[in-house]
Amino acid sequence: MMALVYEFVWRILHALLHLQRALICWFRIRLWNWRLWKRAVAALLVPVALSFQNHKKLGPSAGKRSLRRVRWGADGKSLEKLPLHVSLLIAEEELHYTDIANLVVWCMAVGISYVSVYDNQGIFRRNNSRLMDEILKQQQDLLGLDSTKYSVEFLNNKNEKQDHQVLSCQAVVKALSPDDGKPSIVKAAQDLCRAVEKKDRSSKDIDIHMLESILRDSTHIPDPDLVLKFGPVESTLGFLPWHIRLTEFISLPSHTDVSYEDFFSALKRYATCEQRQGK
Amino acid sequence: MSWIREGELSLIERLSANILKAGPMPKHVAFIMDGNRRYARKRQVERQEGHTQGFDKLAETLRWCLNLDIREVTVYAFSIENFKRSKEEVDGLMELAKQKFSRLLEEQENLEKHGVCIRVLGDLMLLPLDLQQVIAKAVVSTRKHNKCFLNVCFAYTSRHEITNAVKEMAWGVEEGLIKSSDVSEALLSKCLYSSSSPDPDLLIRTSGEVRLSDFLLWQTSYSCLVFQSVLWPEYSFWNLCEAILQYQLNYLPLQKAKDLHKEQQALQQLEADRRCVAELLMHHGSGNGKPTDAQSRQEHLLSYVAEREERVQGFLGALQHRRDRYFTDLAALTALA
Repeated sequence: MMALVYEFVWRILHALLHLQRALICWFRIRLWNWRLWKRAVAALLVPVALSFQNHKKLGPSAGKRSLRRVRWGADGKSLEKLPLHVSLLIAEEELHYTDIANLVVWCMAVGISYVSVYDNQGIFRRNNSRLMDEILKQQQDLLGLDSTKYSVEFLNNKNEKQDHQVLSCQAVVKALSPDDGKPSIVKAAQDLCRAVEKKDRSSKDIDIHMLESILRDSTHIPDPDLVLKFGPVESTLGFLPWHIRLTEFISLPSHTDVSYEDFFSALKRYATCEQRQGK
Repeated sequence: MSWIREGELSLIERLSANILKAGPMPKHVAFIMDGNRRYARKRQVERQEGHTQGFDKLAETLRWCLNLDIREVTVYAFSIENFKRSKEEVDGLMELAKQKFSRLLEEQENLEKHGVCIRVLGDLMLLPLDLQQVIAKAVVSTRKHNKCFLNVCFAYTSRHEITNAVKEMAWGVEEGLIKSSDVSEALLSKCLYSSSSPDPDLLIRTSGEVRLSDFLLWQTSYSCLVFQSVLWPEYSFWNLCEAILQYQLNYLPLQKAKDLHKEQQALQQLEADRRCVAELLMHHGSGNGKPTDAQSRQEHLLSYVAEREERVQGFLGALQHRRDRYFTDLAALTALA
């Protein structure tokens, strides 16, 4: 009898929590829409106002792009510390390539050198070229034609260097999947054991630095300093277990329609984190 | 201050516990008990006092876990990185640990009543010998208990643990117990210090830090992570309930992600086995180059899998034996002294 009552109360409690979560989500989107409206109205009014003042401007969109670029670059410099490598971990069912591409472009614009994108089903990894195209497109849209300054290097799945589509070395973007996690550690272990089998190495020689150097070579990029996790699931979902020793995790509710302000406030939060490294 | 605190929950706490227990409950919870020093600073007491209160809070939390039917708890007591702290503080922590593990030995009866099994995970060789001995005694004397489990990570980091697992497998290869091709995700998990525990369902870190600090990186891949801002010595029953609520909200999507991962792991194992069988067939039989039919290939695969599993079981048995002996020998050493 009591068990039934407890279960009933539990169900109500969880229904309320789900409702709360849904409401927060709804308000966020409403707020975002409202912000969009405000911007749209502003965008409509500003050119009219400008056209009265000076007629010899280049064209509003080009001017706006360079303005944005300068602002984002300055935002990056205003922070006390900037992560070298940011991972975007998507813990949501639905993936929106445009929103991801926006996030990647913002990362590049504030001056982050390495950006990786992860989902636990390996969807980004399988659709690497679609992601890449979308990023190039958003880069054009958001930053204008300045692609010499903001060029991207896409690291492909294979380890061979010639597979990389290298445009320049300003920012490296990589799609990661669960295969880069535990299976890559297992592969390193297998290689070491094979060397032991062939008597090339003794089990006593194996240490952290050896494993570390093998695993660093397999990803080509430094350990992530910051993981921006999008979605309601509170977990790393198999993301690079070896590499996240000192990584800070910051959660955002969703990557759908995520705004630059949300992104930048997460970076600000990261800048205030203090790492004591055991001390 | 003892390890297991007697005492019951208040009426309202009991009521809430029962409501929570109507949903899916974590079976294994891991804690990063952060914030002892900040607590000491806040209260303007000695740093060591902060650590002592942190330990008392652990005893209290263990009781809450028992009341909530959580049978396994893993705590991060001391990281290898913590050796970098001032000598005074490290010595203080070692002394505290020695005192607490000795105390544990005096509480045999109580531990037996609750069936508490204590395991210590980490590279104990890095500790002073007297502490190693006390720890070994505590581990050996509670080894047979099987109602609840407390894993204390001491002189531990996850990278160290993973590297050690790789080393153990290389040892197995050296001894001819396994082949390098037997190395797999499942085998590596079985060579970690935590080999006898299931992966934690819930990981809680207090004091507002949002990183794992080299704790159970391998084991928490699909655990629910809850970061709470409260300092560890101020942790309350309600904080624990809040974390469990979070776990329950995440239960279904995490279960789905775990299943997907299990599927992929099985697929990888099957592929590896197929590769090994193909290689064996190339080397041995069918010199005439005739492709074997599907049925006999399946039979080869099955017998190969059985052989591999036998090898792996033999190796794991040897490994467990070696680890058990390490503790038994150390504990015996104290008996002599």
